[in-house]
Amino acid sequence: MKIYDEQWEDRINALLDGELSVSDADLLKVEASDDRDLARAIVEAYQLQQAMETIHVERAPASLSKRLRAIPREHRTRPAFSVFQPRWAMALAAIPLVLISVSLMQPDRPSEADITQARQEVAIAFAYLDKAGVITGREIESTVGHTMANAVTGSVERAIKSQNLYSKEKEA
Amino acid sequence: MSKRYRQWVKEYQDQAWTVARYILKDAQEAEDATQEAFVKLWNNRDSIDPERVRPWLMKVTRNGCLDRLRRRKDNVEFDENQVAAQAHGPMQGAAANEVGVWLKRAIGSLKEPYRSLVVLRDVNQHSYEEVAGMLELNLAQVKTYLHRARKQLREQLAEVRP
Repeated sequence: MKIYDEQWEDRINALLDGELSVSDADLLKVEASDDRDLARAIVEAYQLQQAMETIHVERAPASLSKRLRAIPREHRTRPAFSVFQPRWAMALAAIPLVLISVSLMQPDRPSEADITQARQEVAIAFAYLDKAGVITGREIESTVGHTMANAVTGSVERAIKSQNLYSKEKEA
Repeated sequence: MSKRYRQWVKEYQDQAWTVARYILKDAQEAEDATQEAFVKLWNNRDSIDPERVRPWLMKVTRNGCLDRLRRRKDNVEFDENQVAAQAHGPMQGAAANEVGVWLKRAIGSLKEPYRSLVVLRDVNQHSYEEVAGMLELNLAQVKTYLHRARKQLREQLAEVRP
């Protein structure tokens, strides 16, 4: 028995598990008829199997069942980040509103074309004033004399010249 | 998911409890260990293959019980009086069956992994393949160790039988 211990154990267990083929089972029985130890081992294995059938899975106590059912309530996990959560959805919705508000608060900036056109209009206005000043000087001169005319037209011409100079400096 | 978890509790609580009860031999500690295993199941419910929940749970229960055994100051492998005194429900009911009571004690006296193998295979009726997965052994090892465990039980049984 000792020499073939492991092999016999395998065959005895296979016999009990129903995994031994009919021919192998018959062979084991023949061997057992000549070997008392083997025969006794097979009988004891059957007895153990019968004894095993008297014990079953034990029913969990009610106190344990209660504890297990309470686990989802007591171990509630915090939900992971989601863009669909209300607070995140609100924050995301607020972004365009903020951008629109900021853009509305910005002052209008004239375009390059607007600036060019304004400069041309200013130049025309100054030319007109220049002409008007000369005509006015002639009319005054004919009415009140040369000295008085110079006093009026001279101040107008100086103002126009200083404006022209300021414009040129700015352009430079 | 909570509904599925409740189904798992219903189906597997007895098996997990049985494993814990046999390994720890202490009703209160077995309850704690079983609860810990189910907490882990709840926390990992989304990552576990639903088809593998039972072997996963048995493995976690057993590992938790073995950790508890290691933590015990005086790791008494088997105390027959303690087991008898702390018997619960069906265990008490089985008292009428002398062989059954004796066998439970005998299983409890086995060393690991023999004890777990007998409980998982012969008591809980898991397949050899499932047991191999739970104990991280190959199929040949499971059969060899189980045969040794059964042989020990068989020889003990022969001694007590007339």
